[in-house]
Amino acid sequence: MSDPRVTGQTRYSRDVEIEGMLHARILRSPHPHARILRVDASAVPDDVVVLVPGDVRELNRYGCQIKDQTVLALDKARYAGDPVAAVAAPSVERAGEVLDLIEVDYEELPAVFDAVEAAEEGAPLIHEEIAISDNDAAYFGLRPQPGTNVCHRFRIRHGDVRKGFEEADVVVEETYTTAGAQHAPMEPHAALARWSDGRLEVWTGSQTPFNTRMDLAGLFGIPEEQVRIVCPPMGGSFGAKTFVRLEAIAACLARKAGRPVKLVLERDEEWLTLNRHPSTIRVRLGAKRDGTLVAKQVECWADTGAYADCGPGVAQKMGFASPGPYRIPNVWVDSHAVYTNLPPNGAYRGYGQMQCTWASERTMDLLAERLGMDPLELRLKNIIRNGDRYCTGEVMHDVHFEELLRKAADAVGWQEGRRGKGLCVMLKGMQTPSRASIAVEHDGEGNYTIYCATAEMGQGAKRAIRLMAADLLGAEVERISFPDPDTDAVPYDTRTTSSRSTHMMGRALEKAVEDLKKNGRRGFGEVADEGGLDPDTGQGVASSHWHQGAAAAEVEVDEETGKFRVKRLHAPVYAGRVVNRPGAELQNEGSMIMGLGTALFESISFSEGQVSNANLSDYCLPAADDLPDVFTHELVEREGAEVHGLGETALPPVPPALGNALHSLGINVTDLPMTAEAVLDALDRRESSRCRREPPGREGAGRKFCVLAFGISAGVLLAGLILRSRRDAFGRARVQRRILR
Amino acid sequence: MRHVEWHQPRSLDEALELRSSYGEDAVVVAGGTFVGILMNQGFLRPARLISLRGVPGLDSIREEDGVLLLGAMVTHRSVERSELVRRKWPALARTFSLVASPRVRNQATVGGVLADADYASDPPAMLAALAARVVIAGKNGEREVPVEDFILDHYTTALKEDELVVGVRVPDGVRQAVYRKFRSRSSEDRPCVSVAAARYGGKTLRVVVGAVAGRPQYFPDVCALAGGEVDAGIIREIARRYAENIHPLSDARGSARYRRRVMEVEVRRALEELYGV
Amino acid sequence: MRLAFEVNGEREVVEAGPDEMLLGVLRRELGLLSVRETCGIGVCGACTVLLDGEPVSSCLLLAPLAGGRSVTTVEGLGGEHPVQRAFEEVQAFQCGYCTPGMILTVIRLLEEIPDPEEDEIRRYLGGNLCRCGCYVKIVEAVKLAASELRSVARRGRT
Repeated sequence: MSDPRVTGQTRYSRDVEIEGMLHARILRSPHPHARILRVDASAVPDDVVVLVPGDVRELNRYGCQIKDQTVLALDKARYAGDPVAAVAAPSVERAGEVLDLIEVDYEELPAVFDAVEAAEEGAPLIHEEIAISDNDAAYFGLRPQPGTNVCHRFRIRHGDVRKGFEEADVVVEETYTTAGAQHAPMEPHAALARWSDGRLEVWTGSQTPFNTRMDLAGLFGIPEEQVRIVCPPMGGSFGAKTFVRLEAIAACLARKAGRPVKLVLERDEEWLTLNRHPSTIRVRLGAKRDGTLVAKQVECWADTGAYADCGPGVAQKMGFASPGPYRIPNVWVDSHAVYTNLPPNGAYRGYGQMQCTWASERTMDLLAERLGMDPLELRLKNIIRNGDRYCTGEVMHDVHFEELLRKAADAVGWQEGRRGKGLCVMLKGMQTPSRASIAVEHDGEGNYTIYCATAEMGQGAKRAIRLMAADLLGAEVERISFPDPDTDAVPYDTRTTSSRSTHMMGRALEKAVEDLKKNGRRGFGEVADEGGLDPDTGQGVASSHWHQGAAAAEVEVDEETGKFRVKRLHAPVYAGRVVNRPGAELQNEGSMIMGLGTALFESISFSEGQVSNANLSDYCLPAADDLPDVFTHELVEREGAEVHGLGETALPPVPPALGNALHSLGINVTDLPMTAEAVLDALDRRESSRCRREPPGREGAGRKFCVLAFGISAGVLLAGLILRSRRDAFGRARVQRRILR
Repeated sequence: MRHVEWHQPRSLDEALELRSSYGEDAVVVAGGTFVGILMNQGFLRPARLISLRGVPGLDSIREEDGVLLLGAMVTHRSVERSELVRRKWPALARTFSLVASPRVRNQATVGGVLADADYASDPPAMLAALAARVVIAGKNGEREVPVEDFILDHYTTALKEDELVVGVRVPDGVRQAVYRKFRSRSSEDRPCVSVAAARYGGKTLRVVVGAVAGRPQYFPDVCALAGGEVDAGIIREIARRYAENIHPLSDARGSARYRRRVMEVEVRRALEELYGV
Repeated sequence: MRLAFEVNGEREVVEAGPDEMLLGVLRRELGLLSVRETCGIGVCGACTVLLDGEPVSSCLLLAPLAGGRSVTTVEGLGGEHPVQRAFEEVQAFQCGYCTPGMILTVIRLLEEIPDPEEDEIRRYLGGNLCRCGCYVKIVEAVKLAASELRSVARRGRT
C-alpha cells in the first residue's frame, strides 16, 4: 500500500490521455504590442487542425475579474507571447513543425513595460475597454479606470494622513520594487478537452474548477451544466494553474477537430503564460519620537501584464495588507492594478502580500533607525492586539502577532546583539467573502466518500480534510476516499486558493457530518463567510480570519562580492489547530524556501518585453544546498482554535527579515531580489556616505578613494572610532554614527 | 517521422572517415548532454548523428612518463573519482567534481566539454591553467593544441571539420593548483566568475579566468609578475591587471560591471590560497 | 530504429527515432510515466533514470546511447525499497512530481556514501529540484534510509 508518489503511480494532468486525441501547440506573437493585420494558415497541411482568429472572433470575452481576454489575440497582440493561432496534430512534434507555416503580419505599436509609467497619462493604451466580469472571482467591488491602463484601483481612507504627518515628529519615506517571478511548478500546464453531444469536458490541472467552468461556459455561451471540469492532481501550482489558462484554446481546437485535444506547455512557455506581479510601492510613515505610529501612506502599482486575470484582487490584497499588523490612526492606501505589455501576472503564493510586506517591514526598520530605536521595540509598541481595530475598521480577533514576533526574535538571539539580524511580522488576508460546500457519502459498510472541489497540488489539503473527516466520523482515514474534483460530482467551492481550503472545508465538513448522521447515507454542509471591503474607502471586513506570521534572519556578508550567507532563518506562524502535522511542516518549509528564492535570486528578466531567461538555468530556483545553516520554523497552536491555512503564510516574512538583517549592517536594499550585485551597490553607497560623514580608515571600509580624498588626520580619534566600531552592540554603533553626523 | 541517420563507428578511422564525408552535416555525439540541450531547445535538428561510444581507446585515464592522458570519452565522473587524478592532479579532479550534478557528470565527457566550448564550463579553465593540450586526430595523424588556443570564442574551437578531439594531455610539474568557482546566485548556478591558478616549480604561474568571456582568459605577461618573490602586493597587482585586461560579458549571473569587480577579488583570493599569503 | 535494452530487469525491444531522447521512449513505448519531463536541459532531475546503476538525465540521453544497457526507473523498485519506505515514512514529498527522480538519485548516493553527512546529501541532491521545497524532509528520509540500509547490510554479514 505504498503512496503513489513514491511508486511513481500518480497520474497528473499532464499524463491524461484519451484515445484518438490530437496534440496542440500555440503560435505566439513575438511583439509586445502590435496590430494583427493578417493570419494566413493556408500552408498548413490537411492532417493538422488550425485555429485562427477568425475561428474564435464570435466567442465571448472572458476573464475572472475583468472580461478582457479572448481565446486568441484578435486585432492586437498585447504581449510578446500572446497566443495568435494554435494547431492540433497527431503528435506534438508535428504540431511544432507546422507552426512555422502560419504567416502572421504585424504592425508594431508603442509598448510600455513598467506599471508606474503605464499608469501615467499618455502611456500607450493596452485595452480600449475594461469590463468587469460576472465570474464569482470578481467578488469585490472593482474600480477599473477606463481610458487608462488602470484596471482596478483600491483605496483605504482611515483618518487623515495629512494631519497625521503634521503631528509626526519623524517621517520616513522610501520607494521599493519587487521583480516578477515565475511559479515554475515542476509539472507544466496541461489540459485535455473533449466535446460530446454539445457538452464540453476538460481534464485540467487547476485550482479553480468552478471559476474555470464559469468562464468557459460564458465564452461559448452555453449553460454551466454543459461544461465539466475534472482536476487531476497537479505537480505543483502555487497559483499558476488558476482560472482559464489553456482550456479555451484546447476546447476550441477540439470543437473544430471533432476530436479530443491535449495541450501541454513547453517549459519556456510557462514564462509566457502567468507570472507574479512586479510591484512598485511607495511608503511614507510618520511617528512620534517615542515610536508611536501616527500616519502611514502607501501607494502600490501592481504590474498585471497584458491581461488582468486576478490582478485586481492581488492589488486589493496588496493594498489592504500594506499597513501591516499595527495600530495606526491615519492610514491612506492607493493600490492599482495596471496593464503593461508584459505577460499576464496572476495568483502567486502570497498573492500580493509578499510585495507589500517587503515595503512595509523595511520601512519599519528605516523608521527604527531614524528614531534610534530597537526595531523589535518599535514593532511591539504598535502591534495589533486582540480587540484592536484594523485600518479597515474590522475588529481583530485571535491575534498572535506579538507572540510570533517575540518567538522570531528569540530564535536569533535578538537580546544578545542585533548586528546582522533582521525581523519581520506580517498579516495576510484570506479570501472574503467565500463559500465552501462539501458532501460526504456512506456506503453502509463503513466506507466514506468525500465530494469536494478542493484541488490537490501537493499542499496536502486532501489528506488534511480526510483526517478531519476521520476524526469527525470516528472512522479510519483509510476508509475515506476523496476522488479528484469533478464539477459534475462535487458541490460548489469558491476555489483552492488563499490558503482557505482546510479552514473553510473543515467548517463545511463539520456540518456535512452532522447532516450525514441525521440522514444516514449522504450529508451536505455549506459555509459562507460574508464580508468584503468598500473599494473607495477600504472599510468593511477584509478577511474573516487572518493569516499571521513572522520571521527572523541572521546573515553574514562577503563585503567584497556582496554575496551573503544566511546563517539563521526562523519563521513562526499561527496555525490555530494543526490537523496534518507533516503536511503543515512541509507547507511552512516550502513557503520559506520559496521566500528565499524571492529574496535572493528569483527574477524574470525582460528585454523590450521579451522574457530573456525563460529556462531553469538562467532563472534560478532554490536547490537543496541553498538552505540556511540553521533553518527552522514553528507552528503556533491554541487550544480550541480553528484550523488556519498555512499554504502561504511563511513566504512573505522571509524577504523583509533578510533585508532588515542587511539593513542592520548599513546595507540598505530596497529592491527584490537582493542579488549579490545589488548588495555590492548598497555597500558602495554605505561606504560613500560614511566617507562623506567620517574620517577615513574606518574598520571594514577599505576604500582607497576615501583615504585619498580626505587624507589622514586625527589619528587618535580614528583609532578610537575603529575600536568602537568593532563592538557588536548595534545601539552603540548607531549612537556613534549620530555623533559624527 | 523525419529520417535521421545514426552512425556508430567501430574505430577511430571509421569515425574520421564519417567526419570527412559529412563535415558539419553530421553532429558528433560524445556524452550527448550539450547536443541534447540544443536539440530540446530547438536549436539543432541534425539529419545525421555520429556516436563515438563504440570507438575503442577513447575512454581511458592513464599516466605516461608523468603526463596524464584523459581520453575524449572519459566522463566527468570518472575524472572526479580517478585515484590517479586525485592523487597527482587533485585540483583537476576537484574541478570536474564541481560541474553541475552527478547526472551531468555521469554523461558529459572530457572531449565534449572542450569541443562544446561553452563559456561557463569549469574544466577548460583548469585544464588551461595546467598547461593541458587538446589531442586532435585527423586524416593526417594527430596534432596537439594548448587548451587556451583551442577554445577561440563562444562555441567555437580550432577543430577542423574533418577532425575529432581524442583526448587531453596534462603535463606534470605542477606544484599546486586551485580552482575557485564563484556563483552569484544558487548553489546549483553556473559560475559567474571562475579562477583556475597553478604554480610550477620554476616560479611559473598560470592564472586562467573562466565564465566571464567567450574564451578562457589567460595573460602570461601578467602572470610573469610572479616570477620573483610573491607577496600580497604582487598578488593584488596581478588581480588588478587581470580585471583591467578582461572585457567581461553580462548574463543572468551578473553584469559586466559586477564581473569586473568580482574577478579582481577572486583572482586575488585564488593567489592568496595558492601562495599561502 | 530498433532499440534493445534492459528496463527494470526485463529485456525490451522498442522502436525509437535516432534523434529521440530516452525520456520520450520510456514514456511512450513502455508506459513508464514516473519518468517526467520538466526542464529539457538536464538541471531539474525529474527525468532521472539509473543507467547501469548511475543517475542520468533521460531528457538529454539520445535513445540509441541506451542500447545494450540497463535502465532502472522507480517502477522497477517494487514499492518496498528502503529508500521508498523512508520517503513515505518521513513524508518527504508534497506534489510528488520530483520524487521518483529523487529516490533513484538517493539510491545511488547511498551506494557511494553509505553514511553521508548532511552537507554531502545536500550537495549530491543539488541537481534534483523540488519546487514544493521538501528538502528538509528529503534529507531526513535519506538519513533514515541510510541507517536502514546499513542495518540490513550488517544483518547480511552476520
